[in-house]
Amino acid sequence: MNDTIAAIATPPGKGGIGIIRISGPNTLKIARIVLGSQPKQRLAIFSNFSNASGEIIDQGVAIFFKSPHSFTGEDVLELQGHGGSVIMDRLLKTVIEQGARVAQPGEFSQRAFLNGKIDLSQAEAVSDLINASSEEAAKSAVRSLQGAFSERIHSLLQKLTHLRMLIEAAIDFSEEEIDFIDTLSIRKELKELLAQIGEVKKGTRQGVLLQEGLQIVIAGEPNTGKSSLLNKLTNRESAIVTDIPGTTRDVIRESIQIDGLPVHIVDTAGIRSTSNAIEQEGIRRAKEVISTADLVLLMQDATRPNEVPIYFDKPTIIIQNKIDLLVEKSSSKEIESGFLIRLSVKTEDGLDLLKYHVKQFAGYRAEEGQFIARRRHIDALVRCEEFILKTLQQVEVRAGFELLAEELLWAQNSLSEITGKFTNEDLLDRIFMTFCIGK
Amino acid sequence: MGAIRYDLIIIGGGHAGTEAALAAARMQIKCLLLTHNIETIGQTSCNPAIGGIGKTQLVKEVDALDGVMATAADRAGIQFRVLNSSKGPAVWATRAQVDRVLYKAIIRDFVENQENLFLFQQAVDKLLIEKDRVIGVVTQSGIVFHAEAIVLTTGTFLGGKIHIGGQNHQGGRSGDPASLKLASYLRELPFRTGRLKTGTPPRIDGRTVNYSKLREQPGDTPCPIMSYLGSVEQHPRQVSCYLTYTNQKTHHIVQQGLMTSPMYSGEISSVGPRYCPSIEDKIVRFSHRDSHQIFLEPEGLQTYEIYPNGISTSLSYEVQEELVHSIEGLENCHITRPGYAIEYDFFDPRDLKPSLETKAISGLFFAGQINGTTGYEEAAAQGLIAGINAALKIKEKEALILRRDQAGVSVLIDDLVTRGTEEPYRMFTGRFEYRLFLRQDNADIRLCEIGRKLGVVGEARWRSFCEKQEAIEKEKQRLKSYWVQPNSTAALQFAKHYQKPLEREYTIIDLLGRPEVDYETLAKIGVLENPIPRKEVVEQINIQAQYHGYLIRQQKEIERLQHYELAKIPDNINYELIKGLSNEVRQKLIEIRPKTINQASRIPGMTPAAVSILLIHIKQPVV
Repeated sequence: MNDTIAAIATPPGKGGIGIIRISGPNTLKIARIVLGSQPKQRLAIFSNFSNASGEIIDQGVAIFFKSPHSFTGEDVLELQGHGGSVIMDRLLKTVIEQGARVAQPGEFSQRAFLNGKIDLSQAEAVSDLINASSEEAAKSAVRSLQGAFSERIHSLLQKLTHLRMLIEAAIDFSEEEIDFIDTLSIRKELKELLAQIGEVKKGTRQGVLLQEGLQIVIAGEPNTGKSSLLNKLTNRESAIVTDIPGTTRDVIRESIQIDGLPVHIVDTAGIRSTSNAIEQEGIRRAKEVISTADLVLLMQDATRPNEVPIYFDKPTIIIQNKIDLLVEKSSSKEIESGFLIRLSVKTEDGLDLLKYHVKQFAGYRAEEGQFIARRRHIDALVRCEEFILKTLQQVEVRAGFELLAEELLWAQNSLSEITGKFTNEDLLDRIFMTFCIGK
Repeated sequence: MGAIRYDLIIIGGGHAGTEAALAAARMQIKCLLLTHNIETIGQTSCNPAIGGIGKTQLVKEVDALDGVMATAADRAGIQFRVLNSSKGPAVWATRAQVDRVLYKAIIRDFVENQENLFLFQQAVDKLLIEKDRVIGVVTQSGIVFHAEAIVLTTGTFLGGKIHIGGQNHQGGRSGDPASLKLASYLRELPFRTGRLKTGTPPRIDGRTVNYSKLREQPGDTPCPIMSYLGSVEQHPRQVSCYLTYTNQKTHHIVQQGLMTSPMYSGEISSVGPRYCPSIEDKIVRFSHRDSHQIFLEPEGLQTYEIYPNGISTSLSYEVQEELVHSIEGLENCHITRPGYAIEYDFFDPRDLKPSLETKAISGLFFAGQINGTTGYEEAAAQGLIAGINAALKIKEKEALILRRDQAGVSVLIDDLVTRGTEEPYRMFTGRFEYRLFLRQDNADIRLCEIGRKLGVVGEARWRSFCEKQEAIEKEKQRLKSYWVQPNSTAALQFAKHYQKPLEREYTIIDLLGRPEVDYETLAKIGVLENPIPRKEVVEQINIQAQYHGYLIRQQKEIERLQHYELAKIPDNINYELIKGLSNEVRQKLIEIRPKTINQASRIPGMTPAAVSILLIHIKQPVV
């Protein structure tokens, strides 16, 4: 237990207070930076929470517990902020930058047990929790891996694995007279990898890729009530609502919170065939935006039951609006690519149902929200980038292949948090599938 | 017949058996080596070569523990090369082509001159087991030998079946009978068994080879040495190997004759390995290649036989002849022995403890090819460990179980007992997660002292090792405080040679850390005065400096994992009682019965969550 862990210890965003808990050897150092001063033991203080550049992120109560008189038995710091999930996440990010890593589900309790702070029956409860939570975290991680972000990660991983395979083969099978790879190609591959990572970090042109929170796109035919829905969810008049079909020309973006879950909603132009050039442009942009979405809300008019839903390549909630005109109650049912909800934006009957499903989709419960999973991924990516940079440096000083292999091994290991372990056996498998290696 | 008592019996006199017997004998255990034929002790059945990438590590470890393989390689080696010499030291591999006859004679010499070691020529038919403990063996003629422990190292002999094309016959090796009685006896014991296969190429009469168009591959200059105690003076006369290639015609012949191979006709259904051991595999799986290289390796100084490395095969003899004659240089050659594939029984190594003792029967150790490995080096390393642990068992001491960062042989054993194997397991450096630690140059640093404490390393080796270590440490200390000032003559010489000025003072050790800098050059250009002449000391200093940063990083990682390595799992843990484990994980744990948390984490299918749960559970008092 020689590293420092941190996590948001309260279920995100029920308004009110959010607690970040930090445990481990770097806790005191982190405390000094975030609080701006050395905290006294077991004294609740009201303080600003700042990042390394002195920027104030939040304010709240901080308590420092010195080892061994703490929950885990290590140095522990609790930061009670009240900014809601997005701010909590920013605070967590600062903490991590100062020398912690995101805790695995149940890890605090594990440390508490291993340091003799809780007993077996409590620990058994922890076992169940660990299992359930890690499944949840795994599900959450998987869900957050949908979308453009995950595609980028997968492609990165493929490239990295391929390079590793060639270098490892060049070491172990140098007698086979196969030209696996040369220094020039290695340099090229590494630079491409770095460029790819850079791209992922920067996000797409629209910059939506790595925003924390759920990316939702509202799509559908004109005049189905998309803009009205957006306005209801944001409690503001952001989109232009008129009766004329095709009024929303631009892509409107809003960032809101649905019960504390940060959501970035994009309202698109109505999708229909049109000769109107402005509309066409809007539609083109809409399709681009949908490609970066985590979830699509497809609006339809419930009063026209013969509509054929357009399926996108994304999880979708089909919303059939205007049931108030049919004197019907709101309902939801599961369908192939997601859910179908019948509601009325006007009367707000079914809006809660919609919010519930959106939160469900985000895997939003227990200790991990989707955006936390992304935070971990970003961490892993940054670490991976460091190792790939190091590899490139080594290539420049003409270091041996075994050193390149070593750096790339560490690079891949840092991604294994996201992608699962890739073992030596897996690597050997790859080599043998690709090359004819004799005995 | 009266029973004669020994402490330890070793069954099988191959690479594993001889190292096992010699090791235990060095530890003052009274050993009996049983072999069906004393003339075949130390025989190299296949490729007459010792060492290779990933394999030399094992040879050096055997050497560091005072085993004989490396010394025999030095005294019988007729061509030496260092593989991967263009890459860094961590992946260098000294490889020796050996004179088959000489090698065998040297091994036999060691065996016959070892105190506490006795030979007996008889095949073994069955073991004597009482209450799940071995107590002895019964030979072919009904002779009974008693012992406290037994090491089984029968190689490819158990149920051995040789295939040449559609013809097959029983045999442990070409010219040697299979062990059938013993095989059927062992199959009755509570071990999981399977069948593996390996193969060998036809041998060729070198007088009938046309070398005129072939590329020569002489040994390296200066001539490499295999053993830490070895010297070039020990080497017999050196020879060259030659290179040739298969071609389209060869491939066509193989394609046409494919059905004569029992592997491809379906007669043998054992799982094929991931790599391509036979020429037919190469041609079938990688049909887009229009040639494969073949090394013509001389088998000895007193014979004309050549070993064509690269055309291992089980095709019918007619096809073999045709394909050989289609190869450049071999158009008119005479084949002295046909190539063949051999199927044999092996035992699932997951039934073994990390000490190589079987879980089911106390005092019974398995080592070598019967555990599913391939290669002399892999066999020898296992044999040595099994011999040591059998001796320790007899002395009622704890077994020697090395960590994965300490030795290649422990990676091998750990892989086998934790993951099992479905194909003949051979060593690659890619299997070492601590590749920079497990080098061929530092096996003695890693293992000599451990071996000395166990009593398996003798006086001569120990003295030589200590003396070398002292010399290394002394020189390192000197270099750590040997400063090169920025404007000194030495600094100027450095700048001139390396095209890089020294902007501040550096120690020699600092400078050696740069990849382009080495000790000999520093001495030559006048930066380093009073260089020491001993090559092996200089080599260590170079290598340690080169990898310094990496080794520190790996060391930190090792220490971090030690935490889990030290978390031992009690022998009598009841996995049924642990809540929170999935059925799949629970089954695996019950099957493998890992000894430490770290080993548990390496079982295929183990999840981090399950490891957490195990960690919590073992903190409780014994259930």
